Amino acid sequence: MRRSIIPILALLLTACSPKEPADSVQTGSAPHIFPDYTDVTIPGNIAPTNFLIEEVGQDYVTVLQAGSDRVTIGGNSVRIPFRKWQKLTQSPEIKVTVYVQKEGKWNAYNPFTLTVSDDIDPYISYRIIPVAVESYEKLSIRQRNITNYKEKVIFANTMIQNNVDQTCINCHHYQNWDTDNMMFHVRHYKGGTILVLDGKLHKVNMKTDSTISAGVYPSWHPTHDYIALSNNWTHQSVHAASHDKLEVIDENNDIILYDTRTNTVSPIENDSNELECYPGWSADGRTLYYVSAHYEGEFGPGRETQLFLDRKQLHFNLYSKSFDPETRVWGPKQLLYDAVATDSSMTWPRVSPDGRWMVCCVSTHGIFPLDQIASDFVLFDLKDNTYRYIDEINSQYAESFHCWSSNGKWMLFSTRREDGVHTRLYFSHIDEQGHFSKPMALPQRDPEFNREFLNAFNIPELMKEPVHITPRQFASFISSTEATRSNYEPRKGE
Amino acid sequence: MTSVISDKRKGLIEKILRFTPYILAVILWCLLAFKEQYYLKKVEDLSVFLFDKLFILEWFKTPGGFLGLAGMFLTQFLHLPWLGALLWVVLLLIAYQLTVRVFNIPESYRPLALIAPVLLVIANMSLGYGVFIMREQDHFFGPLLGYLVSLVPMTVIPRIRHKWAKALFIPVWGAAGFELFGTFALIGLLVTALASLVRPQATRKERFTEFLCMVACIIFIPIFMYPAYTTYRMADSWIMGLPSISDDRWTHAMRAPIQLALLCPLILGLIQYRLQQKPLKDNKKYLTNAILYIVSVAAVWGFWFKDPNFHTELAMSDAVDSFDWKKAIRIYHDASRSQGQSFEPTRSMVMYRDLALLKTNQALDKAFTMKDGSKMQKSRTVIPMAWQSGKQIYLQYGLVNMSYRWCLEDVIEHGWSYGTLKYMVMHSVVMHEEEFARKYINKLSKTLFYRKWAKGQTALAHDSTLMASTKPYSEILPYMCFENRMTNDMVKTEGFMMRHYTEAIPTNPTPEFDRAALFWAMRIQNIQVFWSCLYDYAQTNKVEQLPRAVEEAAILYSSLEKPPFELRFSKNTTDRYNAFRRFVENNPVRDIKESSEKYYSKFGDTFFYYYYFIRDLKTY
Repeated sequence: MRRSIIPILALLLTACSPKEPADSVQTGSAPHIFPDYTDVTIPGNIAPTNFLIEEVGQDYVTVLQAGSDRVTIGGNSVRIPFRKWQKLTQSPEIKVTVYVQKEGKWNAYNPFTLTVSDDIDPYISYRIIPVAVESYEKLSIRQRNITNYKEKVIFANTMIQNNVDQTCINCHHYQNWDTDNMMFHVRHYKGGTILVLDGKLHKVNMKTDSTISAGVYPSWHPTHDYIALSNNWTHQSVHAASHDKLEVIDENNDIILYDTRTNTVSPIENDSNELECYPGWSADGRTLYYVSAHYEGEFGPGRETQLFLDRKQLHFNLYSKSFDPETRVWGPKQLLYDAVATDSSMTWPRVSPDGRWMVCCVSTHGIFPLDQIASDFVLFDLKDNTYRYIDEINSQYAESFHCWSSNGKWMLFSTRREDGVHTRLYFSHIDEQGHFSKPMALPQRDPEFNREFLNAFNIPELMKEPVHITPRQFASFISSTEATRSNYEPRKGE
Repeated sequence: MTSVISDKRKGLIEKILRFTPYILAVILWCLLAFKEQYYLKKVEDLSVFLFDKLFILEWFKTPGGFLGLAGMFLTQFLHLPWLGALLWVVLLLIAYQLTVRVFNIPESYRPLALIAPVLLVIANMSLGYGVFIMREQDHFFGPLLGYLVSLVPMTVIPRIRHKWAKALFIPVWGAAGFELFGTFALIGLLVTALASLVRPQATRKERFTEFLCMVACIIFIPIFMYPAYTTYRMADSWIMGLPSISDDRWTHAMRAPIQLALLCPLILGLIQYRLQQKPLKDNKKYLTNAILYIVSVAAVWGFWFKDPNFHTELAMSDAVDSFDWKKAIRIYHDASRSQGQSFEPTRSMVMYRDLALLKTNQALDKAFTMKDGSKMQKSRTVIPMAWQSGKQIYLQYGLVNMSYRWCLEDVIEHGWSYGTLKYMVMHSVVMHEEEFARKYINKLSKTLFYRKWAKGQTALAHDSTLMASTKPYSEILPYMCFENRMTNDMVKTEGFMMRHYTEAIPTNPTPEFDRAALFWAMRIQNIQVFWSCLYDYAQTNKVEQLPRAVEEAAILYSSLEKPPFELRFSKNTTDRYNAFRRFVENNPVRDIKESSEKYYSKFGDTFFYYYYFIRDLKTY
């Protein structure tokens, strides 16, 4: 009896599984799929790149072939079985052919290729945030295993805030892609900067009498126990009539160095006529890159309004500053990119781990690339001090926060390319010559996820390992611990 | 013979008493369906239910999520107020019947079973302006469903004979119930635990074992299950599923009737055996029943939020949402007529009215002839107009990004709703942001009552020519003709509108934009701004005869300050102005408040009155 059931079951299964059409007409064009994975380069360890076929038809068959491995999937929502995907990604290339049945005839679209390349760090973290204006109600920092689809909350503000006292969380960051040393900020209720140092939790208040705010945008020193942070005094306003909805300005900015071992803050740049922001360390930790705009407006009640009026004159230059991590002595600042001369504005400098490349956001003006449709990426070759717009990545909408993988082969970045408003995460591979591959969307189990999801992804970071502290541990610590005030120490050097 | 009549009378009284809850239910339904239809529609507009996997799964990330989903599923039927009200009333009757059965309430005390449904009616119908700042979108049906859920353990546990089966059911219900129904499942256990203490059939040992088992579940299940969630504070574990408002004191007040309703089974559980043993004699029974019914009706009526301005605002809001300007004006007139001398509008009503008058090109004739005012909301805390109607008013005035902003603020505070999704579609369609529009159209296409509307928007998002000739876009685009600049309304819609229309630089001015600018110039009563806007108005509107209020303003301002251009006034206006001046000479104004009535009777429908007597309007 049992013997007869097995072949029957096998027959039934075979009958149900889709088959590659024997006769088909070549359309001569590539299929429309979402996300657009046609001819992209993928990390060898990435989760299956499920996609949706956006061609109208009665039936659909997709064939993925890599060497002798072949997977056939039916339906317009192409969900690739995990085990089979792992086999496919052993090969350097996966050929994907899409067939769509229209009016009874099968149409074969031009095959596209998924080029399998270097592995990437297996985890990413990001903040999930409503496409916000001023309010915040539900924010969470989450981590995702990108070799599959598992997502977990690192911490959510809903775990500590109550009906009246609200909490904002932002700017999560790690030292060298490891989670033993990490940080994020908690603002307002139960506020403070949450530091994880060698796996132990700390809560500090970096606002001192000599600094303009607590720390904001961080960059952790690659070899020493320092974090460079900006101080920001931020405002936002609504565009009355523009596709850009919001404008963010900082009334004042400085950059500070925070010593995690001594809980000491010292200024790096605090010129009152300069708006300094977005520090980013070089790979060896001996140079700090940052941006700064010259602004001589008076301090006082009208400064915010005036800054909004002058917003188009706010051009952030790119600077560097040498640093001796042993003595903490700073060198003088050096202009690397004159944004004023080019009528542009440079933000978010991030250097590749090999120290060769630096990617920044460039826009027409201002400090907040996320809300500027015009924001694009620019690549600096630090070897010969040249730069170019990364046309192979840039889209018609805002490209914003980005980070490098630990092996320097990948860049993860946030972009609004899909609909102009919701920020989504994309990867791109960089080769030895500094050419980026066509960006690929972070794979999701449901290929329609990016379209359906009404929140935005914010500040992506790659990680070698997951955060081990549980959300409950964070919540209990943040709720029960008062922030320790940081000490202030004057700058050394120059 | 006497006893036969008395028996007949008795039978009749018994029948009346038995049917009273059903008669009350019919009356309640009529009130809801025909008197509170705009309130019900607003409750629906501020909630959402999507037939969408992502949406549904999101709800299971919080204890009580299933109850929330069920509540929102039912709330969508309030789109047709008669249907939603019918569902709600039927559920109230089920709650009443179940209470009778679960606690085996004898006829003598039958109306006691009505107390919880009455309290749940009070919770909903006393909410008033709180509806705009409710955090939970299932608040209309949720507590009622929660009450029904809380009766489940009381029904099931005493009927389980086998002690091990009982011992198994209690934690399973506790854990599964907490996940699905939140605190309501635990309250059910608490009621059952207390009732078990007085259950006559059980031994003392059995009673205490059951009691302790249930109490342990109530305490420990939320603690054990907390690590599975990241959506709430540990301290809130025992109130999951209860509605809340973004104001703590209001939350307590709003929750009070719900908590009392949940307390009813607790009391009934404790006294049920006594009630069964002490049936009342007929006369006492009738009297007790009658008193309880009367008290119930009086309580509902007493707590019912009957503020006429609130109801007028809701009705006008509905008219604005359907771009029915004539209806909005009619509603305002009706409210004014029905309230007579005591009528004083809220600023929201005035804003809706003026918008409707502008859209029908009557504002410059009529806006200043209608009664103005700034009656404060009858609300525990002021709900800013931006929260209440910002997205509607800004969009209609062409301030699309401001409307977008208030949609998002609303979404962040209170979650997505049909209203915000619809407005997000309209923002993106009017801004030619097709991909963006598609996202929200896609969401609305997963609803029961908005899918048809969403389908219609798909074509408009794709075809901007078609969009430009279709309502409401055809009526919004003429107002979108100003240079971009940075703005912030500081949560004051009316003040912002005044600034925007008198300061914005039009790029390609339209008659509609200049009409609105002149209207707001008259509102701010600044003579210089008025002359400038009047000039622009004359350029684009090319009218032979200035509207009445404009002419009145012009003649008045000419007497105060020399106009920068020559003006001629109609005989009517000149006569009226001269009459006003004579009246002023004979009735000098020493105190604005004292004189305003006298002047209103003579000149209440003129700009002169508006200019001199409408002062200190408090907007919000």
